[in-house]
Amino acid sequence: MFKLALASLWNRRGSVWLTVIAIAVSTLLLLGVERIRVQTQENFSNTISGTDLIVGARTGSTELLLSSVFHIGNLSNTLSWQSYEHLQSLPGVSWHIPMAMGDSVHGYPVIATTDALFENFKYGNKRPLSFAAGGAFAEQNEVTVAVLGAEVARERQLSVGSDLIVAHGTGEISFSQHDAHPFQVVGVLERTGTPIDRGVFIPLTAQGLVHGEYLPDSGAEEHSHDHEHEHENENVVTTEPPVYTLSAVLLGLENPALALRLQRTINTYRGEALSAIMPGLALQNFWRTLSLFERALVAISILVVITGLLGMLTTLLASLRERRREMAVLRSIGAGPITILGLLVVEAFVVTLVGVTLGTAGLYTVLLFGAELLQQQMGIQVSASVLTLREIYLLLAILVAATLLSLFPAWRAYRNALADGLTVKL
Amino acid sequence: MSTCIELKQLQFKWPGAQLPLLSIPELTIARGERVLLRGASGSGKSTLLGLIAGIHTTGAGQVKVLGQDLAGLNQHRRDQLRANEIGYIFQQFNLLPYLSARANVTLACQFAPARRKRLSQQSIEQEAKQLLTRLGLTPEQQQQPSHQLSVGQQQRVAAARALLGSPALIIADEPTSALDQAHRDNFIQLLFEACDAQNTTLLFVTHDATLAPLFPRAIELSEINQGAVADV
Repeated sequence: MFKLALASLWNRRGSVWLTVIAIAVSTLLLLGVERIRVQTQENFSNTISGTDLIVGARTGSTELLLSSVFHIGNLSNTLSWQSYEHLQSLPGVSWHIPMAMGDSVHGYPVIATTDALFENFKYGNKRPLSFAAGGAFAEQNEVTVAVLGAEVARERQLSVGSDLIVAHGTGEISFSQHDAHPFQVVGVLERTGTPIDRGVFIPLTAQGLVHGEYLPDSGAEEHSHDHEHEHENENVVTTEPPVYTLSAVLLGLENPALALRLQRTINTYRGEALSAIMPGLALQNFWRTLSLFERALVAISILVVITGLLGMLTTLLASLRERRREMAVLRSIGAGPITILGLLVVEAFVVTLVGVTLGTAGLYTVLLFGAELLQQQMGIQVSASVLTLREIYLLLAILVAATLLSLFPAWRAYRNALADGLTVKL
Repeated sequence: MSTCIELKQLQFKWPGAQLPLLSIPELTIARGERVLLRGASGSGKSTLLGLIAGIHTTGAGQVKVLGQDLAGLNQHRRDQLRANEIGYIFQQFNLLPYLSARANVTLACQFAPARRKRLSQQSIEQEAKQLLTRLGLTPEQQQQPSHQLSVGQQQRVAAARALLGSPALIIADEPTSALDQAHRDNFIQLLFEACDAQNTTLLFVTHDATLAPLFPRAIELSEINQGAVADV
């Protein structure tokens, strides 16, 4: 019966191929969307790890998360340098990364920070940042230095030693460029697959310098000299803060279990209205708000699959009329109505199986040859990993759906076979 | 001599019809007989064949084929009986166009275990080849997709499919109406020879009265059928 179904399909291969292609394309789409969805979520939750708290001025958790981790948006409120010093002094804090944002280079966000970022920031499965070339700020004597994310270096074709001009504001085109202070690239980070790749990192002192908050060496000395008279304890190394305000501070704790307690301590700090968020929780909450789009995407691709299957149903139903003769011949040589029914179901199954297989093969072809292009053009990261269990379930669901759908034309053929018998009323 | 087909008090009407289409008090066809059944178009010939082939059913005891009451068999058993013991030849379009002539012939045995058993000395493939050769198809023609064959050749392939595995009964439903006279007579001759060789009963249905002299027994359907025949 299987051979017979194949031969019959081969006889009608013209229209069958179209059906196969429709199913292949819809399978490709469904799998592709599923893959992008899952891997985007993975990339998303991999953007930050090991950081226990993110602290900023009083604001919403999504806003703080977006600006500090994704470098999206602008925090209107800032926290003062004094608050930052207070945070450092809190018990249980093992490391801290200050961040001041707001400037940009060719549309890439500029993050003013310290070398603590390169030492303590972790992403993915607690992986630290590493340098593809050059090194951190401290190894340099200059103040106006910059470390680039992998993407920035690649797209702008910058390497260690290149010059960089920082513009004020975050637009790609800015009218107020800090051209008085060209920055020298001293390091390029390895690719991480996180927003770090699209960041330009400069020392806090450089940010202060550009904005006129910090006076370079000679001036600073004079400045602090004035202060020293007012201070009672001369031994305290009170350096003038490089910047007056920060956008956010990332904190690492000695004992992550204490994060909740510390969060409350910070949220109730009296010196300034502060917000502390736990990145894992905030990421989850944020993803939940995005899930509507995600679900819409999945729904659309499921609809496409249904369209493909309905196409198959139409072709099968349309072919029944021309095949009544074939059915009658089969009946005359003793094929039962059940055989006729089975023939159509097998046919639909084979068509779908070939379509699904082609679609899956197509997905891998696209992933193998197009992943680079996708990453470059759309910033979507997908990898040609083996099929996940969920994807296999999806494929099986298509096959089952197709087989169930084919029962309808198969039933029609069965009824025809019974009614027509051996005489076909055409 | 045992009977092959036995009709008794046959009454058949299509659902919704007022009067029965077929009403045959009695008809018996013995094994090995060659019978011509003549009837005008619309006289219920095809319906009668459908009843004998077990496609349609009627009341108990009315149709017996090879001693079996068809009404007492379920759908599957009737399909099996047809597959094993009845070879059916249509007027036209007998073959599955996408299979080769030989594959069309061997297909008949796929549904018929009893026929396969009768062929067990040789492979089905071999047997089909011999039969087709005897009916005048060259080995090349046997391998061609059947839609490339002429109508006459197609009918011979259909005959071969009906004959393969020596079924007890061959039902031929106007098999010659698409053939010209020379081919027609030749085809009937071939059919006779093959039926004789296998001691197969032949029920040959046609509207064409000129064929009657060729058969030892000819039945006029209108004479045996008392049903309400549409007089057209």
